[in-house]
Amino acid sequence: MNMKRCNPLLPPRHVCVIGLGNVLMGDDGFGSLAVETFRCEYECAPNVEVLDLGTPGLDLAPYLYGKDLVIVADAVEAENTPGTLRTYREADLLSHQVQLRLTAHDPGLQESLAQLRIVGHAPSELIIVGMVPESCAFGAGISAAVLSKSSVAVHLLAALLRERGVDCRRRHAQLQPNLWWLPGDRSEVVSA
Amino acid sequence: MARISIDPVTRIEGHLRIDVEVDGGSVQKAWASCTMWRGIETILRGRDPREGWLFAQRFCGVCTTVHAMASVRAVEDALQLEIPANAQYIRNLILIGHALHDHIVHFYHLSALDWVDITTIPKADPAGAASIADGISTWPGNSRRELEAVQNKVKGLIGSGQLGIFSHGYWGHPAMRLSPEMNLILFAHYLQALEFQRKSNQVVGILGGKTPHIQNLAVGGVMNAINLNSLATFNMDRLGTLQSLLQDLIPFVQQAYFVDACLLAASYPEWFRYGRGVANYLAVPDLPVDAKATRFDLPGGLIMNGNLGSVRPIQDWHDQPIRAAVAEDVTHAWYQGKGAQQPWKGETNPDYTDFRDDGKYSWVKAPRYDGRPMQVGPLANVLIGYASGHPLTRKWMDAALKKISSVNGSRLAPEDLQSTMGRYLARAIRSAMLSDLALEHWKLLADNILKGDDATYNPPQFPAHECEGVGMHEAPRGTLTHWVVIDKGAFSNYQAVVPTTWNASPRDQQGVPGPYESSLLANPVVDPEKPLEVLRTVHSFDPCMACACHTLDASGRQIAQVKVL
Repeated sequence: MNMKRCNPLLPPRHVCVIGLGNVLMGDDGFGSLAVETFRCEYECAPNVEVLDLGTPGLDLAPYLYGKDLVIVADAVEAENTPGTLRTYREADLLSHQVQLRLTAHDPGLQESLAQLRIVGHAPSELIIVGMVPESCAFGAGISAAVLSKSSVAVHLLAALLRERGVDCRRRHAQLQPNLWWLPGDRSEVVSA
Repeated sequence: MARISIDPVTRIEGHLRIDVEVDGGSVQKAWASCTMWRGIETILRGRDPREGWLFAQRFCGVCTTVHAMASVRAVEDALQLEIPANAQYIRNLILIGHALHDHIVHFYHLSALDWVDITTIPKADPAGAASIADGISTWPGNSRRELEAVQNKVKGLIGSGQLGIFSHGYWGHPAMRLSPEMNLILFAHYLQALEFQRKSNQVVGILGGKTPHIQNLAVGGVMNAINLNSLATFNMDRLGTLQSLLQDLIPFVQQAYFVDACLLAASYPEWFRYGRGVANYLAVPDLPVDAKATRFDLPGGLIMNGNLGSVRPIQDWHDQPIRAAVAEDVTHAWYQGKGAQQPWKGETNPDYTDFRDDGKYSWVKAPRYDGRPMQVGPLANVLIGYASGHPLTRKWMDAALKKISSVNGSRLAPEDLQSTMGRYLARAIRSAMLSDLALEHWKLLADNILKGDDATYNPPQFPAHECEGVGMHEAPRGTLTHWVVIDKGAFSNYQAVVPTTWNASPRDQQGVPGPYESSLLANPVVDPEKPLEVLRTVHSFDPCMACACHTLDASGRQIAQVKVL
C-alpha cells in the first residue's frame, strides 16, 4: 500500500503534528506543551493527527509511516539563547545541523526515517519546530524563557500547516489544555 | 590486558556504559554502569494515587504502558481493591500488544544487526534464499521476488555509498558468520517487521485510546465504556477490528520471528556456551484470567543456581516471600547509605563520586532477593514456566528445540538456554506464547461482554490509616514491581524496581556482580577495537536504561564510543 501523494500541487492528505520530549524533564517537555496547546486552540481537518509521543525511540516509526507531512515540535540542542525558536528540515537533521535534545530521540527519529525510506513509507516532508531549552533538569517544569515563547510556537505550527494547504482554524471556543504534569495551573500563561 | 569502555551501549532510552577487562581474547572482569541519574520516585511523593500512573508512564518513552499498569496495580494492592473481569482482559490485551511490539522491535531493529551482516547481501542468491526459507517456514513473505526486491534495495544503499544508520555496524567482523542468503532472509524480515510493529501498536491504541501513552487506565479498572449498541463505545465493531489485527500479527510472530530466532540459534550454536551469568531467575505471574486474579496464564516463580528442579512457584500477587525478600543495595551505587533497604523504606538520595572500580560506579541500585542477585526477563519467564510444567511454555520450548535440531542436528535441552543465545530464543518463545494467548484473552473478553457483563471499574476508597502495596507486572524485559506507601490519600513513598535494575545491577555489599556483569565473564573478544561479542551479550538482555536511571544530554553523532584503554 503506497499512500504517497500523486500530485504535489494538492494539499497533503496524511498529516501528523507530533510533540517529542519528556514532560518529567523540565524544558524537554516543550514538545508536549506545544502540541497540547495547539490541539486546544486550533481545529484541524480529520486527516491531521495531533500526538504527544513522549520519547518513543524506534517506536516512532509507526507514527511516521506513510505520512505526507509531519511536523515535530521538540527541544533542540543549539548555541542560541533559551527560548529561541527555529524550524529545521529533514536535511538539517541528516547533516547534523540540528540535534534533538535527548539521545533517546535522536537515533529514534533518524533511524525510524531511514528504515521507512528503505520500505518506501517515509514522510514526504518533515519539519522540526525546535525550541532551545533553558534547563532539562528532572522535575523542573517549564522555564519562563520557554513558556513565554510557547504561544509563538503554537501559531507557527498552524502557519506551517496552512502554508501547505492543510485545513487548520482557530477554535471559536478554546478548549482548556490539559497540562497535568506542570506544577500548579500554568495554562493561562501559555494561552495566546 | 586491555580495558574496553563502551558508552553508551543502548540504542534506545538511556545511558549504559560497559567496561570490560580483556585478556587472552576473553573478558576477565566487567562493570555495568548507568551514567545518569533519575529520581523518578521523588516526583510521585505527595501526589494523588489515582493519578500516579499518568506520571509513571512517562518514566520511559518505550515502556510506557508497563509502568502505568504496575502503578495502578500497586495502588489496588494497597487498597485491596478488586477490578472487574473485563478490566483484567482489556489490560491483558494491552500488555500482550505492547510486549509483542517490544519483542519484534528488539529482535529485528535493536539487535539483529549484531548477527546479520547486511554488506554481504548483494552476493546472495535470492532463489537459494527463498528455498532455504521455504524449507523451514510457511511465512508468505519469503518469495524469491520479495527477497530480490530487498536485495536490490540493499544494493542501492551500498551503491550510493551512504549506509546512513547502517554505517555503525561491525560489518565484516570475523564473528559474523551467516551466509549471504541467511542475511538476506533476516534483513527482509527486518523490513517487514516495520509493518507488524504498526499493527501491534494499533492493538494497544484500540484498547488504550491513544499510544504510546494509554488513556484508559484507572485505579479500580479501566475507563473503556462497553455498550454493544453504541457506536461511541467499545462495541462489536471494535472487537472485530481487534481480532483481525491480531490475526494479521500472529503469523508474523510465529512463522517469521520465531523461526528466525531458531535459525539464528542454529547458525551460532557456540553462543549457547557464553553469557550464562547469574543463574537465579525471577518471574511474577501475569495475565490474570479472573477478576480476583487467582489464576494466571503466565506462571511466576523462582529458580536458584540454574537448577530447574528447584523451581518455587509464585502463585499470585499476594505472595508474601517476595514482599519480604526484595531489597535494594546501594554500596556500589551513587546513593547515600550502605547496604540494602526494602523498597517501601527505600530512599533515593544521590551521592555522586567518580567511576570507581572498587567503590561506587553506577546510578543503578543493586536489587537482591534474599541477598542474591536475580536475572529477570523472557529467559526467566520460560525457564520457570517450563520447570513448572506449564503446557503452553512446553509447547513452544519443545517446538524451538526441535526446529533448531532440524537445522543443525544439535540436541539442546531447556537448561542450555541459560546463555546469550538462550535469551534471544526465550524472547521468541515468549512471543509465540503471547500470540496464542492474545486470541484466548480476546475470546475471554468477547464472551464475557456477550454474556451481558459490561462492568469495567470499581471506585477506590482510601483509608485514613497508612497502607502499603506492591504492583507486579511481568514486562517485556522482566519482573517489574512498583512499591507504594499511601497515607491520607497521597503517596508518602514510591519506589520502582524495574527489570533493567535487576539485570544491570552493580556489585552489592558482598562484591557479588549483577547479571550483565557476570554474563560477560569469559565472553570472547576477538578484536578489542570492535567488541561486537560484548554487545551481543549485553543486547541479549534488551537493555533499556531510562527507567533504571535518568537520561539526559545530547550528542548522538556516534551510536557508541569505544575506548580501548
